[in-house]
Amino acid sequence: MYLAPDGDEIAVAEAAAAYLAEVLPIARLHAAPAPDLAPDARQQLGEMGWFALAVSETQGGSGLSAVEHALFFRELGRQCGPVDVLAQCLAANASADAEQRKAVMSGDCGVALVIADGTGWRILGHRDAGLGLIVSHTEAQIVDLAGLATEVRPALDPANSLRFAAAMPPALATAPGEHIWQLGQLGTSAMLVGLAEAALDLIVDYAKVRETFGRKIGSWQAVRHACADMAVRLEAARAQLWYAAAAIKEGRSDAAVHLDAAKHQANAAALANADANIQLHGGIGVTDEHDAHLLLKHAMLLSRLFGTKRVLLGRLLHAGLED
Amino acid sequence: MDLYYSDADREFRAQAREWLLGNVPGQQRPAHGHEAAQFDRDWQRKLHDHGWAGVAWPKEFGGLGLSGLQQVIWYEELARAHAPHHINTTYVAMMHAGPTLIARGTEAQKAFHLPRILSGEALWCQGFSEPNAGSDLAALKTKGTLDGDDIVVTGAKMWTTDAQHADWQELLIRTDSDSQRHKGLTWVICDMRAPGIDIKPIRTMMQDEHVNMVFYDEVRIPRSNVVGEIGQGWSTALATLSFERGLGFIGDQLELYERVGRVIELAGKVRLEDGRRAIEDDGIAQRLASIKADTMAIRAMTLADIAETDRTGVPGPKGSMMKLMVTQTHKALGELVGEMLGWEFLEFDGDRGNNPWIYDYLWSWVFSISGGTSEIQREITADRLLQLPRSR
Repeated sequence: MYLAPDGDEIAVAEAAAAYLAEVLPIARLHAAPAPDLAPDARQQLGEMGWFALAVSETQGGSGLSAVEHALFFRELGRQCGPVDVLAQCLAANASADAEQRKAVMSGDCGVALVIADGTGWRILGHRDAGLGLIVSHTEAQIVDLAGLATEVRPALDPANSLRFAAAMPPALATAPGEHIWQLGQLGTSAMLVGLAEAALDLIVDYAKVRETFGRKIGSWQAVRHACADMAVRLEAARAQLWYAAAAIKEGRSDAAVHLDAAKHQANAAALANADANIQLHGGIGVTDEHDAHLLLKHAMLLSRLFGTKRVLLGRLLHAGLED
Repeated sequence: MDLYYSDADREFRAQAREWLLGNVPGQQRPAHGHEAAQFDRDWQRKLHDHGWAGVAWPKEFGGLGLSGLQQVIWYEELARAHAPHHINTTYVAMMHAGPTLIARGTEAQKAFHLPRILSGEALWCQGFSEPNAGSDLAALKTKGTLDGDDIVVTGAKMWTTDAQHADWQELLIRTDSDSQRHKGLTWVICDMRAPGIDIKPIRTMMQDEHVNMVFYDEVRIPRSNVVGEIGQGWSTALATLSFERGLGFIGDQLELYERVGRVIELAGKVRLEDGRRAIEDDGIAQRLASIKADTMAIRAMTLADIAETDRTGVPGPKGSMMKLMVTQTHKALGELVGEMLGWEFLEFDGDRGNNPWIYDYLWSWVFSISGGTSEIQREITADRLLQLPRSR
């Protein structure tokens, strides 16, 4: 029993952190509009093998587990990384077609995440993405997006564009089973945990230097106690994330339940910490130049993927657990 | 990162489960008085006689010397078996005094007290807080004057749980009258039957009398009862509190999950004023599920922290975060049960046995104040974990 990154896992997390801070730093969102995963960045990530972490070695991947998958996406979350990265990873795991899989893993072919929304479909991903991925609890479908008519909607979150399509073409291929959903839910939870960590780090750093009434704001209990509450929410979400990641890796029968709890805790921690981070910063926290609003907006997007509060809690109420 | 239990861990769980199944007392613990203390002593004696006493104590002092993870297993099995709650009149002896004596006591102190604690023969109480020294413990004033082989103690202690049942007390006093704050304090073993001790119960909002004020009028305590050094009591007291902040609450942390299960069962039976079952109400169902998810996260936090402590050998600063989360969750659950039960929730005659739901809800305030208030836990988290500038 050990519920924190350990041994080689730490090396993977550190490598991911350093690489993503270089290729997809959160600062990119303050420059000219740069939503989604641009083709050049996609190819760089592909060359480094990040899309194929959890793909088996026989299928050309690194053969690592759900744990490394979670560690990578936690670092991506800290940078408000685009959702296309997750779509790319999931498609690499879902694709049974060797050629297609290779193109997805290398980043030559882009993948967007496609989500049913009432009568139509939401598309999260770069306009250049040739494939779409639709994931449910029971299967993952790969669709051809080339030539599909989509409508661009204004996007609150600068990390991802928001497109809409009234209809989707029939699936090119379908991967049965719950595995892709679990990797998607775990990846999203991990991004939200990374984001909740980033929010706490921002305010703790600021509280050590910013002064009011002649004192560092971090010495006022009104600030300290709110920061402590952020740390508690984060710790709860992070511990549950590690539990869920290990449960998937080990194929435990209650892995899906722990994942639902992990997504719920991650949704709550990210939204609440993004909120508190803005409030505790004061005026600077509501400005466009600050990162604080980027964290909130991306948390709002991620909290809608792979399990919203209402759906997750509905599933959790009667779910049973192993020892 | 892994969730594996070793073969020894699994074996331990199976043995504990089997033993508890056949040995958990059938009758409910009396709510108050001598009968409650006797019930606790009997249960402790039974644990001791069957080799289950002192899960956290080292083997050389008669305990089981379990790893943190095996202690978690033990508390999970206690909760599953509806065994008597471990926070009872034996708690201070088992979780504070015993571990403190093991760490800092003399050979004579250990030889005399430890076996008596383990067997349930001796109950202990705590004498730290005072009327003007609660969260700010270092403000304590109870005076100890050195007189030959004795220390003569005069003053008052507050919030002393189960003082009326205790044989011994872990007593923190100021032995240097010129000293300030953390200096000049001494941790002594006080015989609760000594002349000059007067115990006055404090009735709580639960209508029970578990906590007390204890007055000391020239109470003579032999110097040989000092634990650690005279004047170094703060260091000994920190050791005492560290045991509580490390593993003292894991029982509560793990019991909460079982408790949520019982409330979900209750929600399937109890009817709201409109005739629907409580579980059919979307608002109630969602809040119940949210509390359940919180108890799962509390369990994950506990396991993460215990595994880290097993590896490093030193409890980290995360106990404070866990106490915050556990006390908040406990209170939220009580509040929700209150909404489900409607008027029935308000029927209370002071006996927990007749309405445990309201009793436990009221207790949630005791929980978030005793053993370090939520505000103190936030201070500790801000200082030790976030390393924010000090507020004081």
